[in-house]
Amino acid sequence: MTEQPAPITHASTTHVPTTPPERRGFFAGVVAIVAGTIITLTPLGLGGMFSLDPIRRKRSKFLGADPMGYFAVTKLSELPADGTPVRFTIRADLVDAWNLFKDRTIGSVYLRQIVGAANPVIAFTDVCPHLGCKVNYQTSSKTFYCPCHASSFDLEGDKLNKIPPRGMDGLDAKVDAEGRVWVKYLDFRGAIAEKILS
Amino acid sequence: MKTAFLNWLDNRTGYRLLIHEALNEPIPGGARWRYVPGSTLTFVFMVQVITGFFLWSAYSPSTLTAWESVYYIQNVMQYGWLVRGIHAFAAQAMVVLMVVHFVQIVWDKAYTAPREVNFWLGLVLMQIVLGLALTGYLLPWDQKGYYATQVATKIAGATPVVGAQLQEMIQGGPTYGHHTLTRFFALHAGVLPASLVLFLGLHVYVFRRHGITTPDPTAPPATFWPGQVMKDAVACFAVFAVVMYFVLKNRGMELSAPADPAEEYPARPEWYFLFLFRFLRFEFIEQYGLAFGAIYLPGLAMAIIALMPILGKAKIGHAFNLVFTAALIAGAGALTAAAMVEDKQDVEFQAKLKFAERDAHRVVELAEREGIPPGGARELMAQDAYTQGPRLFARHCGSCHRYNGHDGMFLPKLRTVMVDHHKKLEPEPATAADLGQFGTRHWMESVLVDYHKTFQPVADSVQTPDETLSDVLKDGINKLNEKKQHFLSGDMASWSESNKAKLQDPANAESYKALVEFVVAQSGRTNLTAGTGHATGVQAPIDEKLAKLGREVFVTGKLANGSLDSCIDCHAMLPVGETELLGSTGTGAPTLTGYAGKEWLTGFLKNPGHVDYYGSEYNIMPAFEATMTEQELALLVDWMVGDYYRSPTHEKHSHGE
Repeated sequence: MTEQPAPITHASTTHVPTTPPERRGFFAGVVAIVAGTIITLTPLGLGGMFSLDPIRRKRSKFLGADPMGYFAVTKLSELPADGTPVRFTIRADLVDAWNLFKDRTIGSVYLRQIVGAANPVIAFTDVCPHLGCKVNYQTSSKTFYCPCHASSFDLEGDKLNKIPPRGMDGLDAKVDAEGRVWVKYLDFRGAIAEKILS
Repeated sequence: MKTAFLNWLDNRTGYRLLIHEALNEPIPGGARWRYVPGSTLTFVFMVQVITGFFLWSAYSPSTLTAWESVYYIQNVMQYGWLVRGIHAFAAQAMVVLMVVHFVQIVWDKAYTAPREVNFWLGLVLMQIVLGLALTGYLLPWDQKGYYATQVATKIAGATPVVGAQLQEMIQGGPTYGHHTLTRFFALHAGVLPASLVLFLGLHVYVFRRHGITTPDPTAPPATFWPGQVMKDAVACFAVFAVVMYFVLKNRGMELSAPADPAEEYPARPEWYFLFLFRFLRFEFIEQYGLAFGAIYLPGLAMAIIALMPILGKAKIGHAFNLVFTAALIAGAGALTAAAMVEDKQDVEFQAKLKFAERDAHRVVELAEREGIPPGGARELMAQDAYTQGPRLFARHCGSCHRYNGHDGMFLPKLRTVMVDHHKKLEPEPATAADLGQFGTRHWMESVLVDYHKTFQPVADSVQTPDETLSDVLKDGINKLNEKKQHFLSGDMASWSESNKAKLQDPANAESYKALVEFVVAQSGRTNLTAGTGHATGVQAPIDEKLAKLGREVFVTGKLANGSLDSCIDCHAMLPVGETELLGSTGTGAPTLTGYAGKEWLTGFLKNPGHVDYYGSEYNIMPAFEATMTEQELALLVDWMVGDYYRSPTHEKHSHGE
């Protein structure tokens, strides 16, 4: 390929034997790359969008709560008057992808009765804010204790050592006229200092 | 800097040689379009790997979740229908391209020495691709895939000596179940693609070793890049465009109703196996047994194909190979066309196909409503009146009644008759009223003014007993005829006849409309407009004012012009919202309280001979109290009165029901 500028007047005739194959080669290369890129990226791109489905489409998880998002858990009379925490299971209709599971356990919470307080029930999720294990209440020490990494919390849910990033996650609770306890059950992200919905 | 890095990289990896090897492969005779089929196959396989991995991420192989997860991919997840559609249509493209590649190789005589081994490697690849097509077809666990694959495993079961064991091994048990899916999935997403990669590697390696078979060795040579790469890329682009065209045109690949071994499906294999299906139906093939047509003969054809490189050494051998290939393709093409034409003309097949589509739309409608129970989507269908009603109608009512001319499931009732010693199918006449419009305004009108026409099938069914029958039988038939005659010449029949003219008098149009409105209002139903009106969503609700006018006509018989014999002379009725019974019971005419509504219809079906309905003396309809369960009755009645869930898109797929 000698780059030899041809006399301008005869450009189209003098270069006929050499440049067209070269140009054709360049053109073929461009076509090959463009076509190849499109047909490779289309299935990859569509597949990528497909796998982004969980973040692009919000779906409801639990059904069966009241309009405010509270689930009926127990009766106030079931809670000890001395404020000892008791663990309760939350049941709801669980939506899992295509399935609707009616009346399944979706998690558990600790409830404490505080007699005389404006809000007579304190509720905590029993999911450790550290890495998501189940926190247990220890009667002997009157503390919450996580068996995984020894996170420890007092009765108010405040952390007692440096292992968890924050205190236990409190949940909104209310008592209705019939004495039923309702809890707004939610999941929170773990391992960070802020309490953020997951 | 850049050069230094690339030098370093090349020193460590040798990538320049790799690229050189890949792109600068010499092509004697230059780039040609006829070399593209192999490349397109590799490309389509790559598309399958990509889309397949994504589908894998959302698929769940078990009998309770396979259909459900595919439904979720297809109808709920974003871009799911596109990814699945590409995967399904690209699979079909692969089969087509395989045939094209094969023909090109045989045509170009590219199978002769030293390329025999590569030809055989290609045949192995062909089997793997067909295996992928077959296993993939079952994975959605829908009716279509389920019944089509049954045929394949039954064929495996027909293998001599080891058939039964082979079939059980493929199925993972004595019948289809969880393990059929897990095994098919392991084959489809694991064993077969891995084998394909292996054999494709060998295929390409051996191909590179011998180079291309050029039709014109004197033409100037070229390198793979860019000329041939461009042709390959353009061909792949065209293939992908065709695949996308079918995906978009059909809005993805259809998903029929969830597999149910108890529900019939008009099963056909995927179109590229249709020729084999048609071939197996020839009587002269059938008589030798399934193994002969489905294993020995295809095996023989494959053996001949495998021998092609050896036969092709001789000039006449190559000619034979060409003729054999042409004959196979022409034969398969003709059989495919024959199968398609026959199916198109097969009324029964088409009716079943239409009903299967109705099921497919319905189950999606139900699943989208509030999710699928843990027992799978079939549970939704089992409890749905719209799904079960027509089936129950066909089974229990269809032998006498019709539903808009068919048996409830779109199937025209046919019977086989002998005409000049030849079997012939002809419509089987109904022996009772067509109930497609039962309880609608239209029905009410036809009972009032066209009583005879409405119940004509009953008249048609009156038959003179054959003289050769025993007296007891003759007696029975005569008695039945008597009851039928009574039905057709009874009070209602003569009422209709004598009042028809008055009702149809234009001066009485309003009164007539009012009377109809009043009676249909009793049912409490919502589907009061028949046929097309319902399909287009035009459901005129009850006109209360008109119905009130109608009550007067019903009680007094007074019309705008003249008067009728009052309805309550014979019928009793407690109108909706009232406390006093009109007319009196026990007259032999049906009580019309809640006429054609749920309660009325349920009671009627349980015991039509009850005094509130036809009365035991003249009833000819069987009672269903003992032959149908409460649940079955409820499903049938709910469907007939239109009490079932309708999604916003329901009407679009309801075929004018």
